[in-house]
Amino acid sequence: MGQIKFDLPGEEILSPGHFACPGCGATLTMRYVLKALGRKTIVVIPACCWSVIDGPVPYSAAGVPVFHTAFESAASTASGIKAGLEIQGDHETTVVAFAGDGGTFDIGLQALSGAAERNEDFIYVCYDNEAYMNTGIQRSSATPFWAWTTTTPTESPKAEKKKNIVEILAAHRIPYLATASVAYPDDMIAKIQRAKEIKGTRFIHVFSPCPPGWKFEPEDSIKISRMAVESRIFPLFEVFNGRDYKLTREPAGTPVRDYLKSQGRFRHLKESDIQQIQSNVDEEWERLKGKLTFQVESRGKSHLHGVVDPERNPPMRRAIRK
Amino acid sequence: MGDYRYTTVEEMPPLAFSLESTRNIPTGSWRHVRPVYVEKSSPCQIACPAGENIPAYFELVRQKKYREAWYKILEDNPLPGVTGRVCYHPCEGKCNRSPYDEPVAVHVIERFIADKNFREGKFPSVTASPKSAKVAVVGSGPAGLSCAYQLARKGYRTVIYEGEHDPGGMLRYGIPSYRLPKNVLAKEINDIASLGVQIRTDSRIGGNVPWSELEKYDAVFVAVGASQSSGLGIDGEKLTGVYSGVDLLHQLNTGGSPKIGSGVVVIGGGNTAIDAARSAVRLGKEVTVLYRRTRDEMPAVPDEVNEALREGVRFEFLVSPVKIKGRQRKVTEVDLIRMKLGEPDESGRRRPLPIEGSNFEITADTVVAAVGETPDLSFLPYSFLKKGARIFVDADYLTGVPGIFAGGDSATNPNGTVVNAIKAGKEAAASIDEFLGWRTKSNGAEHQLVKPEDINTFYFPHETRIKVPRLSVGPGTRSFAEVNKSITEERAFQEAERCFSCGSCLHCDVCMTFCPDVAISKDDQGEYIIDYDHCKGCGICVNECPREAMDLVEEDTQWA
Repeated sequence: MGQIKFDLPGEEILSPGHFACPGCGATLTMRYVLKALGRKTIVVIPACCWSVIDGPVPYSAAGVPVFHTAFESAASTASGIKAGLEIQGDHETTVVAFAGDGGTFDIGLQALSGAAERNEDFIYVCYDNEAYMNTGIQRSSATPFWAWTTTTPTESPKAEKKKNIVEILAAHRIPYLATASVAYPDDMIAKIQRAKEIKGTRFIHVFSPCPPGWKFEPEDSIKISRMAVESRIFPLFEVFNGRDYKLTREPAGTPVRDYLKSQGRFRHLKESDIQQIQSNVDEEWERLKGKLTFQVESRGKSHLHGVVDPERNPPMRRAIRK
Repeated sequence: MGDYRYTTVEEMPPLAFSLESTRNIPTGSWRHVRPVYVEKSSPCQIACPAGENIPAYFELVRQKKYREAWYKILEDNPLPGVTGRVCYHPCEGKCNRSPYDEPVAVHVIERFIADKNFREGKFPSVTASPKSAKVAVVGSGPAGLSCAYQLARKGYRTVIYEGEHDPGGMLRYGIPSYRLPKNVLAKEINDIASLGVQIRTDSRIGGNVPWSELEKYDAVFVAVGASQSSGLGIDGEKLTGVYSGVDLLHQLNTGGSPKIGSGVVVIGGGNTAIDAARSAVRLGKEVTVLYRRTRDEMPAVPDEVNEALREGVRFEFLVSPVKIKGRQRKVTEVDLIRMKLGEPDESGRRRPLPIEGSNFEITADTVVAAVGETPDLSFLPYSFLKKGARIFVDADYLTGVPGIFAGGDSATNPNGTVVNAIKAGKEAAASIDEFLGWRTKSNGAEHQLVKPEDINTFYFPHETRIKVPRLSVGPGTRSFAEVNKSITEERAFQEAERCFSCGSCLHCDVCMTFCPDVAISKDDQGEYIIDYDHCKGCGICVNECPREAMDLVEEDTQWA
């Protein structure tokens, strides 16, 4: 193992000039998804950041056909488009529903549940930025415990834990389910390529940091995503048929404190709150470990082998120089 | 019901749709900071007195371009086979990898490159046009060789005068062959001579060659080194069986067999002392090194001290000789006194102070005094400015006499190491070039130094430092064969892979991979281009760069 050289597969389909904020995780997610799936792809976008990011009429950043649909209907629209393609004899084109956490965890949940129960043939990518971001950072059921949002101000931060969407989908026994992070692009692309080969409802839950919503500097997006994985807040794993769990990266187990301290939305946390969150994370991690049926397999030749010292996260710094 | 398939856009019912790419939207106008690719200086490069571009030749080793790697070193140092073996490698002391796991073994790679080019490598020829000016160099030690080499590369006709029978100075007569085999030195001196440098051996200025000989040259570089042992300044120094470290090593390196007894005491803590001690071990003697401070203050290279210990040399710290006793003019005992450390002196080391009444004796039949060397400047004809025992030179290596430069151990502020002598030769050559009216010295652009915390260590798996294969020498070794062996290409590659390449882009594509704005691409040559029409200046590329080869600079927002 030596020097890391990235060599991501696939064509660059996403266009620059889109309307995402600097440092946007959701945009990187779309970029990797399109790289993995290629041009024979139709994207369905419900109301979410990406409704804006894709660009104002007559512009579109995605580079593939995009269907903008209503907030609650990403999964049902995707089902319909897939059915339409099948009628036309197109069995090749991949249909992707690309929704935020609001359109997945909250508003789109019944459509998603229905489609998953029918095992509709599409990939559902949820880019989870843990609140309703483009409408002004309102809490969603994906907002983590004790986080600030404009509807959960620091006087009464969100007192409920984040909804476990993966377990909900796993309970539908869909063929493929995975978590992914923008900090591990080769892992994400490999998972999406694997999903492409499978028929039925496939769900990818992507951890997607939001600099303005989480209150951090845009340059730290990747570092924060990495910390979330390494501190076991957002472990990377796959679930086959809703039953067989497989970890794709063994997290280093760094303290959650560094992750929390890196973001303004957790600035109000007291030491006891941090301890509480740490024990919640530890508990969830133990539960996940109990479900694993496969050993960690290192995939991707480079990035997944990266090193994180359990005692110390890579330093955060301001890079601006005059 | 008509056909639901539309063949043209016009047939479709009115609805909002987009057919244009957002590439038309110049989101670069949102930016207030701008990412730029920069080349910064690695700490090893700064720490290297010769100024070798270490990250550059490491990259060439990774690409298996060994000749190019050799040429890269030769820009600054004509003796990589020598320094790869005997340099005290300050570069490794500053390596940014040290706080992470272990420093990169720079000297091992340097030696590997020299070894790789030992047989087949073609020394680069001079590309500069020949100049009429002639320069004389007095002394063919590392400073003289380095200066002559750099001058030859600049097109000067250069002649080296050497008083000894063979060139090399201390490299030849001071360093034992188990550390630096003679053929390695001879090869690199031949390489330098191949540039047209004339080396006149057996030509001692002030001896068989008069000083006036030098007057026909346009400039002179004096680099005679420091070969006179400082005396101990105690009683009994004239007894038979008392040697100076330099003399002992000189005799051994010229094939002589000095008469030394079985109980050898070496006095001193520098490299000469250690070389003398290890050489005496190889002659089958019991050796004790006496040093007046502790091991931490020893000026000798720590690796060498470890080797000496391994070979059975005994060390006695915090002792100082008071008197050498003898019978029938032969050494029998050394009278010693115990020392303690006081306040730091001007060298920054703590001053040793004798402890009253702690005198004791050890038996010895040979005493080697290696407590420092000074230059022999008796050949200098007219009154050169001196400082202490050395020739005074200014920052440009110019002595008080116009056209005469000096450097290395015979001039002021010596460091007593090979690589510092090489540095002096290189810098003096630049001064001479300027003096002869050719080129003003460039002071070099001030580069930013990459610090350990600038490295994104996530991208670097922990790897252990290379262990150099060694001749198995233990106590009582008799062999003067080289102790450290060559390494294989594979091991060299592995070690080169450990280098962070601080501040130099290796085209790892991390910046490109993490750009949310798809604003970084590669041109035909594989160089990165930033699309500033669309880059929003998020700074992810700069923050993620594993090796600090990018910077984020504030935009001049006045244009709006």
